[in-house]
Amino acid sequence: MKLNSLAKLGGVALLSAVVLAGCGSKSSQSGSKKQTLTWTTPSNIATMDTSTMTDLYSAQTANATNQGLLQMAPGNKVKPGVAKSYTVSKDGKTWTFNLRKSNWSNGDPVTAKDFVFAWQRTVKPKTASQYAYIFANIKNAAKINAGKMALSKMGVKAEGNYKLVVSLNKPQSYFKFMVAQPEFFPQNSKVVNKYGSKYATNAKRNVYNGPFLLKGWNGTNDTWKLVKNSKYWDAKAVKMQTINFQAVKDPSTSLNGYQSGKFDYTTLNGTQVKQYKNDKDYKVNKEASTFYLELNEKKDPIFKNKNIRKAISYAIDRSQFVNKVLADGSQAPKGYVPDAMSERNGKDFADQAYVKSGVSYNLAQAKKYWAKGLQETGKKSVSLNLLSDDTDGAKKSTEFIQSQLTKLPGFKVTNQNLPFKTRLSRSQNGQFDMVISAWIADYPDPSNFLDLFTSTNSYNNGKWKNAQYDALIKKSENQDANNEAARWNDMVQAEKILMNDQGVVPLYQQALSTLQKSKVKGVQFYPTSPQYGWQNAYIK
Amino acid sequence: MVKYLGKRIFYIVLTLFIVSTITFFLMKFMPGTPLTNQAKLTPGQIHQIYKQYGLDKPVWQQYLVYLAGVVHGNFGISFQFSNQAVSYLIGSRMGPSLIIGGQGMVLGVLVGLVVGSLGAVKANTWIDTTATIVSILFVSIPSFVLAVLLQYYLGLKLRWFPIADWGGFMYTVLPTLALAASPLAETARFMRTEMVDVLSSDYIELAKAKGLGKVGIIYHHALRNSLIPIITIIGPLTVNIMTGSMVVENIFSVPGIGEQFVKSVLTNDYPTIMGLTIVYCAMLCVVLLITDILYGLIDPRIRLSGNNN
Repeated sequence: MKLNSLAKLGGVALLSAVVLAGCGSKSSQSGSKKQTLTWTTPSNIATMDTSTMTDLYSAQTANATNQGLLQMAPGNKVKPGVAKSYTVSKDGKTWTFNLRKSNWSNGDPVTAKDFVFAWQRTVKPKTASQYAYIFANIKNAAKINAGKMALSKMGVKAEGNYKLVVSLNKPQSYFKFMVAQPEFFPQNSKVVNKYGSKYATNAKRNVYNGPFLLKGWNGTNDTWKLVKNSKYWDAKAVKMQTINFQAVKDPSTSLNGYQSGKFDYTTLNGTQVKQYKNDKDYKVNKEASTFYLELNEKKDPIFKNKNIRKAISYAIDRSQFVNKVLADGSQAPKGYVPDAMSERNGKDFADQAYVKSGVSYNLAQAKKYWAKGLQETGKKSVSLNLLSDDTDGAKKSTEFIQSQLTKLPGFKVTNQNLPFKTRLSRSQNGQFDMVISAWIADYPDPSNFLDLFTSTNSYNNGKWKNAQYDALIKKSENQDANNEAARWNDMVQAEKILMNDQGVVPLYQQALSTLQKSKVKGVQFYPTSPQYGWQNAYIK
Repeated sequence: MVKYLGKRIFYIVLTLFIVSTITFFLMKFMPGTPLTNQAKLTPGQIHQIYKQYGLDKPVWQQYLVYLAGVVHGNFGISFQFSNQAVSYLIGSRMGPSLIIGGQGMVLGVLVGLVVGSLGAVKANTWIDTTATIVSILFVSIPSFVLAVLLQYYLGLKLRWFPIADWGGFMYTVLPTLALAASPLAETARFMRTEMVDVLSSDYIELAKAKGLGKVGIIYHHALRNSLIPIITIIGPLTVNIMTGSMVVENIFSVPGIGEQFVKSVLTNDYPTIMGLTIVYCAMLCVVLLITDILYGLIDPRIRLSGNNN
């Protein structure tokens, strides 16, 4: 009996050895690894209609399956997409794109008319796009969106099949980044009209012009895949054959799947970061988003005092905050505009506009400024409310900030944590003393952040005002809009004013903490949406 | 019987109407909007979008439009999945939820019956003690904790079952086990108590005196009479499985309606919340109806249309 089973075992072992050897020789013959990987996302695809999509993961998929005039490139640059070149008129208001001959996955040519069709469709009031505002600088787009003008009057025209002319209201040097975003992708009118309201509600009711084709998405499921598109104009540069996607909503499931080898990528939450920050696969990607404290100058005039604002900023130990309290990979901020988002001539904006006092911790200084501020405002003690969201992270944040601020003599802080949407409406209506806000960039240009703190901007909840700051931002958008160097300089100066005057108190820059298998190479990370690009990815 | 059924169905419709009405108005009291990037839109733009979804109308009008849709089986269009009909959304995700929910229920109740009966028959022996300890454990451990443990040990460490995902029977094992624990424990507890009672009753003594075999007594006399209270708890157990599935589906990445429900609430996706509430409510009503019919089948003393017979 024993001998018998031993013999069986030996037989199985021998057989497996033969089979395995067969596998081995096969793969070494082909000389390369199988070009497939499995990626996780925390959420499923909501829609593939670039006119109505609002979430990151839909945009991420659209960015892999479709392509706009230009595409994002590493180092805050753009590279040619469907347009092989473009020119900008002297006044900066007319952009002309020369399109290459390329095809949709159904064989139709991608033409300038597809762009006109798509952009008009997004702006059309009936579409109810939540991102129509992003077209506001295109001539007449805002009026059309408000239902006050005919669609055909929009400032985007096709001259023949391969030339697209865009007219802007005012020069916009970062328009090149905008046309790389999914909202500006082309749409095949034939396909859109064929499916009507069902367009892009599953993988088959759509057509693609990008590096990959979407397969296996039924509109609501949690798994889908990207398969190389052989009709893509630059298909020879695409190495990946298949990228499998799995929406995993639970962070520990995602991590378990990564450890078991099922997934090649996972994001980590705070507790997981503590455990894995020394792992060889651990990667932190800085996002273009800043969390900051807004002080309501309208409701609490004490915040009009610069010394009070500076005291608050000095009292917050940001490195302790990100390393000990949040501990999820978030970074201490270099300023209000996030680090690693935009650069010019190899120099990062955040480094150039760095004002040390705006983001440093110094309790002695804080107390000094505080005493001075109280004296100037004639107060002995202050009791105020700190508002934030009700997520775990937000609660930790308010508790920490509270503990830091109450070190200032006579400062009493109470915390209020509310659900996001309630918190937001309070912020917008000025019903707060201090609020923790966040801004996530729509496109990687400092203006996307700096615009917020001009005195008339509706997101300037604290109502901080500075004439010099307003003038610089205005200058950068008008007379310097076409002069890249001058515009950059205006923005650097503006950020310095904002930080020196402590118009806002930056708290931290968010980062995405991840594990990514070392065999996966060439995945591009963008600090703004759509975050990831796989067209240059490969398995080593 | 027909009259009884008619009456019950009328009450089910009434229940659904009341539940959908309450949900509708509760949702209108919820803060915020269904817009994802509300922070970046001006009030004018928000109004423009609302107009397209009919959200600019007075609440009573929205309510009537909504009710009219529900009567026609149309729950509207999801906000979160743009242009996706809620009925399709629910339909396409219903299967996995029914499979793991159904399997969990059947497994839990059947094993619970066996464990409970064993405990009663072997009352005050080590078998009874073990059965009691197991039930207490399973009742006290929430399904999501059990789910995480199962995933870690059976999925990651031993690699017997897939950690997550969906695709065949093997994928349903861990979620089913996680969901089965609580019905198993509840059933076992009730079964044991009831069976101990029944076993000490006169007619069992009589059967014993007549010299019937132990297995025969338990199977023919004790089991049937002990089942009645068990049927009573099937309703609450179904609710248990439904709420448990919201978390368990999340943990095992099951593409079901439970985790969709949670997500819809978080994103203010009114049409999906409404649709799912009605579906959950309808499922529960149907389960309750079935249990009431089962009473009669198991115990002839309880006649459905009692006054006629």
